[in-house]
Amino acid sequence: MTDTDTSPLNATRKPASPERGDAHRWLFYLVPVAALAVPFLFNDYLQYVANLMLVYVLVAVGFNIVLGNLGQLAFANTAFFGMGAYATGLLMAKLAVPFWIAIWAGGLAGALAGFLASAAALRGIRMYYLAIMTLAFGELMRWTYIHAEAVTEGSSGLGVPTATVFGIPLDTEAARFYVFLAIVTLVVKATANLLRSRVGRAFQAIKDNELATAALGIPTSRYVILAFVWSGAVVGIAGGMFAIALGRVVPESFNLLELIMHFAMVMVGGVGSLAGSVLGGVVITAAPELFRSYPGMQELFLAVLIAFVLLFMPRGLASLLARVSPLFRERFYRE
Amino acid sequence: MIAQLVLSGLSQGAIYALVALAMTVLYRATTVVNFGHGDMVMAGAFAVYVMVLYLGLPYIAAAFIALALMFALGMAVDRGLVKPARHGPHIALAMMSIAVGYFLRGVARSLWGREVLPMPRVFDIPPIFLGDLVITGDAIVILGAVTVLVAAFFLVFYRTNVGKLIQAVYQTERGAALIGVNVARFHAVMWGVAAAMGAIGGILIAPVTLLYPDMGANLLIHSFAAMTLGGFGSLGGAIVGGLLLGISEQLLGAYVSTALIDVTAYIVIIAVLVIRPVGLFGRQAVVKV
Repeated sequence: MTDTDTSPLNATRKPASPERGDAHRWLFYLVPVAALAVPFLFNDYLQYVANLMLVYVLVAVGFNIVLGNLGQLAFANTAFFGMGAYATGLLMAKLAVPFWIAIWAGGLAGALAGFLASAAALRGIRMYYLAIMTLAFGELMRWTYIHAEAVTEGSSGLGVPTATVFGIPLDTEAARFYVFLAIVTLVVKATANLLRSRVGRAFQAIKDNELATAALGIPTSRYVILAFVWSGAVVGIAGGMFAIALGRVVPESFNLLELIMHFAMVMVGGVGSLAGSVLGGVVITAAPELFRSYPGMQELFLAVLIAFVLLFMPRGLASLLARVSPLFRERFYRE
Repeated sequence: MIAQLVLSGLSQGAIYALVALAMTVLYRATTVVNFGHGDMVMAGAFAVYVMVLYLGLPYIAAAFIALALMFALGMAVDRGLVKPARHGPHIALAMMSIAVGYFLRGVARSLWGREVLPMPRVFDIPPIFLGDLVITGDAIVILGAVTVLVAAFFLVFYRTNVGKLIQAVYQTERGAALIGVNVARFHAVMWGVAAAMGAIGGILIAPVTLLYPDMGANLLIHSFAAMTLGGFGSLGGAIVGGLLLGISEQLLGAYVSTALIDVTAYIVIIAVLVIRPVGLFGRQAVVKV
């Protein structure tokens, strides 16, 4: 990017105040640092739930890129999630690939799924058509996991061996938590940077008016592919973590109910808001665990929560935070 | 052999057509795709089940009460949940319909857990034998009901003032409001009609598919496939799409592999959208800028 670059995405915009930017950065690192204390405070079961929260934070952050930032009604998220989980799980179980390589391979598999999904969006398939097609893609993948028994071991599920990082086995919930926390912090930070760059602004422009964006000379299709690929990679990494957290990959983890959960995370947290995705991932993961022993309560709770958010705070929990303190306002977050 | 397969495909496809028709009617009238419609079908069937088995009502009475209840539910959903969210992004409406479906499923699950219940039949018609061909009573009832419903809807859509109203609101809500159409009431009534059609679907379908809280998801995907195949938003397309989907499921299942029965719907959706996104009878979609 040079000064002679006249692309409208490079229009310099002064930050509102430099202190606020600093405070933002400070706040960003405060959350994972505070989270370091979690294993000392909780018992094993709560620790397991906390690990799942980290997985779903990435799921929501990845989904939000396509849904909120790019503004495409694409529901292939369970496909990204499942591809990531199976790629990581298979590499570790069948080829004994070390965890820290397999997890990025999961991201790569998710990115590939994202690339496939972007092909639909690029063919001019939009709105409900895109929603239905991506929905079908996710279900088709689930069918593949069930029926490709020679590879995936079908509906009984694929056992994933204990992960090892630099010779240290991740055999406790706490050990997994720290590794997950590091991965999530890294990926969320990278996503935040991407969304703040010209790329993020291009996403926003495409969401607002694709035709006008193209007319400004911005290669929209390239950015659409990039958004899907990045979203797929983030969710794919989450899938890899999911395989490790559960120690088993089962096709039923990637069904329509799961998809609705992902969707609810983004909607409840705040469409298009990064902080909102993090919040949504945490809240929606925690809530069903409370109702585990009451059949039907999970669904009822989610339904009421979603309806409440849609009616009374359409911009999600993130808008609630922003109202509490301007520190939580995101510069590139608009509805 | 092939005639029998086509026949069972037709009766299976009629189920998809019935659900897809209800979704299409709502889509045409309000531009909302009801992702919770599968669960409305489930709720209608459970309402009848409760009234017949727990309250001991006669079947026909139960069916009519269920229709009225679902109509009221549909109107309540529109008035209480959809209308207030109407001015937000369109995605919020889709999400709201998901929440409604989820709520219904939650109610059913809290009462029946993961049970699969047999649903009694309305009309117990003995099967008809035509040479080698066996036509089951269920097939006769469902195909007959679908034919009647389709005829009724086509008459309403293309031969009455109500139909013109529906098309007017679909084209421009503002314009319809300007010429004196009460758009808000119209939307509420259409939600009621769609939910009541869900109840009809449930009553006819549940004896074949059995009754369980999760039955909606499967129906939803299949009716999406039917709508996509026929052309999203086309009434005739929903019917033809549903029937073709049912037939191709049976044929693929018999001649290629039974595992393919579950996946035909997804393949159909993806193939249609890649090859001909507007479906068989769809017109080029109008993009609102």
